[in-house]
Amino acid sequence: MRDVKDTRSTRAKINLGLTYAVMIFFTVMAIYPLLWLAMNSFKTTTEFQLNKLGIPRDWVLVNYKDAWVRGKFPILILNSIIYTGITTVATLIFSFMAGFAFAKIPNKATKYIHGSFVIGLLLTLQSIMVPLFLIINWVGLYNSRLGVLIPYIGIAMPMGIYLGTEYIKAIPTALVESARIDGATYMKIFISIIVPMAAPVGVTVAILTVTGTWNEFMLINILTSSDALKSLPVGVQKFAGALSSDFGKQFAALMIGLIPMLLFYMFFRKEITKGVAAGAVKG
Amino acid sequence: MTGLKKISVLALALLMVVTSVFAQGTREDASASGKVELTVLNYIDMSEPNSANEIKMVWDKFEEENPDIKLVREDLFNEPFHQKTEAYVASGQLPDVLYMWPSGRSTSLHTTHSVKDLMPFLEKDGLVDDYNPATIAPQFAGYLAELPNGITTTHMLYVNAKVLRENGFDIPKSYDEMKAMVKPLKAKGIDLIAMDNMDAWVMQSCLFSMVVGRYGGVDWYDQLSSGKIDFTDDWFVKSLALIDDMYRSGMINRNSLSSPYGSSRGSFASGKAAFYIDGDWSTASFQTDITTGKALISPESQQKDFELMVIPNLPGEVIKNSNSGVVGTGWGMSANIPAGSAKEAAAWRLIKYLQGEYVQTYRLTTGASFPSNLKVDVEKVVEERNLEPFIAKRAAYYAAYTPITPVIDGVLHSDVYNVINTGLQEIGLGDKSPTQVASEVQKAWDSWKKNQ
Repeated sequence: MRDVKDTRSTRAKINLGLTYAVMIFFTVMAIYPLLWLAMNSFKTTTEFQLNKLGIPRDWVLVNYKDAWVRGKFPILILNSIIYTGITTVATLIFSFMAGFAFAKIPNKATKYIHGSFVIGLLLTLQSIMVPLFLIINWVGLYNSRLGVLIPYIGIAMPMGIYLGTEYIKAIPTALVESARIDGATYMKIFISIIVPMAAPVGVTVAILTVTGTWNEFMLINILTSSDALKSLPVGVQKFAGALSSDFGKQFAALMIGLIPMLLFYMFFRKEITKGVAAGAVKG
Repeated sequence: MTGLKKISVLALALLMVVTSVFAQGTREDASASGKVELTVLNYIDMSEPNSANEIKMVWDKFEEENPDIKLVREDLFNEPFHQKTEAYVASGQLPDVLYMWPSGRSTSLHTTHSVKDLMPFLEKDGLVDDYNPATIAPQFAGYLAELPNGITTTHMLYVNAKVLRENGFDIPKSYDEMKAMVKPLKAKGIDLIAMDNMDAWVMQSCLFSMVVGRYGGVDWYDQLSSGKIDFTDDWFVKSLALIDDMYRSGMINRNSLSSPYGSSRGSFASGKAAFYIDGDWSTASFQTDITTGKALISPESQQKDFELMVIPNLPGEVIKNSNSGVVGTGWGMSANIPAGSAKEAAAWRLIKYLQGEYVQTYRLTTGASFPSNLKVDVEKVVEERNLEPFIAKRAAYYAAYTPITPVIDGVLHSDVYNVINTGLQEIGLGDKSPTQVASEVQKAWDSWKKNQ
């Protein structure tokens, strides 16, 4: 009996050890590139060329100063916050309102209108880039924040509508009908019943929109020409490339671009995990 | 009001306020101030040590000297630049003045004739003789679409003469002399040639194009286009066979195929390889970074221990000392600008300035490019400004290695040169023979020609 227990305990220990080994391996795989980037952002190009893996001999802060000033990062970060904030709030509001209508107030046209939104999920940015550029030019919104925000919201909405509609469909229709019988308007039902109950998938949509908009580079590059309107990824790209000559500044610029997203994940880790799980299960 | 309601109302209010405050553009009306407004698409590597200075020394200076012109400049680099250019071309709404390539990455600008022919402007101002004739020859679409910075030679053999001296060797005079160095150097853990061949374009552009010129002659592309020669002929197979020989003999390490572009510069500078192959543009990366004061190769060492040359005498070559080169990048003017307008005059004034004596001298001092403008006295500039030895050596290198033969990706279509690039990597890996690659390239060439 004792032998069986010992064998089980040894097996459990081996399993635990293997689990830890696998987890440590993947943690290192995920974290090492970031550490490497951070470390090399403090080296001169000369030192980087001669010592790619080691700790910097001289910690060169001038890389960050130069990247910050030359890349005009303060205005780019502010723009990224504006674009991401407005796009996320607008996407949540419009998508969930549409999702509520599609899920709970259906009519003959619902499946066509819903389909016309959801088909947006299949469109790639590359395929709409040039037509979008022409339209934005034509309506006189080229090189304006509104000219960036409208496509951003339009691009984020298909996913928001898809997830929102599917989630709201699972909310009992009896709740909506009861509220209607009690005299509640659709707006009242949306705000008081739908929004609180759909909050978990709202977090999922918010996360997808925040990360998607924050990292978006192609459209903002095409739709604006002034540095005062561009966002963080465009600034980072000015330093990055195969023929780039100064690796230290390139890595410093990449770190500057990375830090806000790292902070976002650090502060909202729990919400992100919960939201993604809820969205995945019920969405 | 519940908490959620408050948040919703607050979010809506915030959305409306912020949108109304920030949603407008930042347009300024230059015409109201009587200035001509020029939109400019500029290409700039912000990590380059002199980029910040360039804005002050080049762009700000132009605006100071030309108060009647307002520049609205867009600075981009690498892929974002090319994506934006393609969007501009597709929409037909080009910036007034834009940075462009003589072919290759700016093909769409050339084929759509989106930019003006600059030769009539040069002729009208009597400036034709100010430029190196090779730099103002007709470009991809048959006219001078951009006024180039200079000529870029895509093959440069950087020599660590100190390593050679310490191992009892002189600067080699032939390919065979170089090959004979492989074993003795390898015994001491030193590679003969450092090269970064992970990106397929490097071998093709920085070595193979020069080799093709040596075996095919200066006019190989003209002969090929007119159907007088094929890729399966001796000149091309021999060129491929030389690359094969370089890998087989260990002159170039097969590990270089997993080495990202630019990553061997450090090991070459520190003496772990006797030679390094790259384009002429890389000299700047060995020079002093003005922001940190550090250099991969110190000026003293540049003078004493390093040389710039091309691979000497190849066995069976038909021309000697040639190098591969392409007209450099430069500035073009949008074809949308009305002829004879004030905007056209302003755009031409800007292009003349950007390729004039002042800016080209400045770019020479930073190592950014070698002048196309003959008014720039390179020797005098090097001497007066006490420039780093690599700049002077670069001047001597341009004079020493002629004629200049075409660069493969500068003359062939990507449908063809991509097959060459891949084939060179397959030779490097030992997967294909030169004859097999030559036959695949011929197929790609035939198929491309059929579709023209």
